[in-house]
Amino acid sequence: MKSGVLRDLAVGAVLVALLLVLPILFPKPALRDFLIYVMAYGLLAMSLNLLVGLTGLVSFGHAAFFASGAYMFGLLMQSGTVGIPVAMLATVGGTAVLALVIGAICVRLKEIYFSFITLAFQMFIHSIILTWVSLTGGDQGLRGGIPRPPFLGIDLNDAMTLYVFCVVVFILCIAIMRQVWRSPFGFTLRMIRDNPTRANFLGADVVRVKLGIFVLAGSMASVGGVLLALFVSGAYPEFGFWTTSGEAIFMIMLGGSQLFIGPVIGAVLLRLLDHFVTIYTDHHGLVLGAVILVIVLGLRQGVADYIVDWLERRRETRAAAASVASEKGAA
Amino acid sequence: MSEIKSGIGRRTFIGGAVAGAAVTGFPHIAGAQAKVIKVGMPTILSGRVAILGTSSIPGVQVAFNAINAAGGIDGRKLELVTRDSKGRPDEAAKVTRDLINNDGCEIILDGEASSGSFAVHEVIRDLGVLCLHTNSESSTLTADPKQKVKTAFRCARQGIHDAVAGGSYAAKIAKEKGLKKWMTISPDYAYGRDNTAEFIQYAKVFEPSIEVVDQLWPKLFAPDYTESITKTMQVKPQAVYSALWGGDLVAFIEQSNLYRVFQNTAFFSGGLGDPPILTAIKNLPQGLNTAYRYNKKFPDNPGNEQFNDEYVKLVKHEPTNWGWQNFVAANFVIEALKRTAGKTDGAALASEVSGMQLKTPLGVGGTITMRDTDHTIINYPVAWGKTVSKAPWVVDYVDTEWSKILEIEQQWKKEKGWA
Repeated sequence: MKSGVLRDLAVGAVLVALLLVLPILFPKPALRDFLIYVMAYGLLAMSLNLLVGLTGLVSFGHAAFFASGAYMFGLLMQSGTVGIPVAMLATVGGTAVLALVIGAICVRLKEIYFSFITLAFQMFIHSIILTWVSLTGGDQGLRGGIPRPPFLGIDLNDAMTLYVFCVVVFILCIAIMRQVWRSPFGFTLRMIRDNPTRANFLGADVVRVKLGIFVLAGSMASVGGVLLALFVSGAYPEFGFWTTSGEAIFMIMLGGSQLFIGPVIGAVLLRLLDHFVTIYTDHHGLVLGAVILVIVLGLRQGVADYIVDWLERRRETRAAAASVASEKGAA
Repeated sequence: MSEIKSGIGRRTFIGGAVAGAAVTGFPHIAGAQAKVIKVGMPTILSGRVAILGTSSIPGVQVAFNAINAAGGIDGRKLELVTRDSKGRPDEAAKVTRDLINNDGCEIILDGEASSGSFAVHEVIRDLGVLCLHTNSESSTLTADPKQKVKTAFRCARQGIHDAVAGGSYAAKIAKEKGLKKWMTISPDYAYGRDNTAEFIQYAKVFEPSIEVVDQLWPKLFAPDYTESITKTMQVKPQAVYSALWGGDLVAFIEQSNLYRVFQNTAFFSGGLGDPPILTAIKNLPQGLNTAYRYNKKFPDNPGNEQFNDEYVKLVKHEPTNWGWQNFVAANFVIEALKRTAGKTDGAALASEVSGMQLKTPLGVGGTITMRDTDHTIINYPVAWGKTVSKAPWVVDYVDTEWSKILEIEQQWKKEKGWA
């Protein structure tokens, strides 16, 4: 366990280094913008996969917490009363409370009923955003920009500093989710996913455990919302619309739900596809739909899951071949 | 075993290198300091409101084709680069950054709807290039001093101007015909509610006897308006105001025709005057009152007709409101570039655009002014007319004096604490 943590920390450090070196080697701002965008949506997809891939809870309403993060953070910063770190902590805490309330109702339901009640809560929050115009700006979003006052000598108004900040926050969140993924709590979640009745017999409090992961996933999604709000300097109702949840599910389908990093790979793929397809045609929906169909029908799993399985199969085949060869040699 | 590991490692390395090259090769960079001046346009090109973008682009192209045919700006031609934001504000922000940082666009013509335009506005605050918002009618964008961005302007009609002009026109008709009992049917979202509230507010200012007896809020993009129509027939108002627009308005009028709603009820619309909307209605009733959106006979001058003809050559339909706004915005850009001798620095261009009086066939009296105090246009057509069943579809335009609009706008700003 200890060596696993150390390995994860080392991988995290390498990832941070890689993400920091990339914009130095390729200093065009567009690459930084793209990576920030991917990190924000990557956190949304990764956190959703804690529910979908790890626990077997397909939430259709996860974007509600993404929007909650963007709006809470934006409103706190516009109030001018707190700095960025306090606003971020308050946002994550506030979203955790929101997820606790919603989750307390949702996690008692199973399968499609769980999916639909999460969707219902999302649409409820989306409606609040649209109708509470004096607070949220309604369908025109949180206007006037989100101030980024310097803190601890860090000025997020500088594009490179903002990028570095996003990288550090992103990797921190990934590290937290990774620890959950590998922890006994994570294995309890897998057990609940595979056989909740057996998990219950073995003493796991299924509802409480599900609620725990629901709150954690919501909190992590809110960090994604904070990063996006910082990037676009605003918050918009579309962040909390069902299509945003749908995109996160697409990312998981594209990347894969069983490899920890699969949803981030899905986020990169979807955003890259989206970026290039949008440049060359207005019929991006058709192209994206076709690509997703090919992947889903052709691979029947996410790209990352497929590659891992393929490598595993190849390794086993080679190991078997080597074993036969060594037996023949011995004979 | 070690061989296998080594093999996978090598392939993984090659794969990683390929992926890295793909990622780091992104973005594909436009050639260094090209001869052309690239102008970027984030807009909506897909989904239910794609007409916003598809009718904006030819407006710019008409202007750019003309200047390019005349040799460009000091030999540099203008090129329009468009991106679909899909109607998502965060995507609008991202594609605007891409247009500037990736595609080398030095000027932005923001063809977004309201919420997207606020997202683009913040990008411009960060990056400081010249930007003209060409489609957002939201007054807050430029009227609220907190929103002000030094290099951002609006070249589009504005809600408060339309509300004063519409209220004034409606009050005049109400007084003439004794229309006291009014009803509103508008889409249930911020624009629909704000637009309706402002129209009624100023109609009552000019004609206090107006009374709103009912207000209906059908969903945006609703396919069926039967419920609203039957309610209207029950309430029997003397006049109806609607902020419905686009396909929603076409569906509403066609369904109302079935019930002969407009035989005994005067109809006032803020969005009917776009030629593609007027021609999409199978049996356009006569005598419906509509705000000016675009008409080749108004302003009635050869320049406007020429713009119309050039536009039709490009897309085979007449311009929309967004078409002329983008045409005028492109001409603001061209004139500013001429004055800076092709220099595309945002601050330099902004100082030229600010306060510019642009000679254009679309202006009242041949000029549209970019007001320097709040970076928005004035002296554009805010007339109202009546529909007829054949081209030019809307006739008898009645213009409202801009002096009157500006006076009331100033009071409105004071009430809001913006002046």
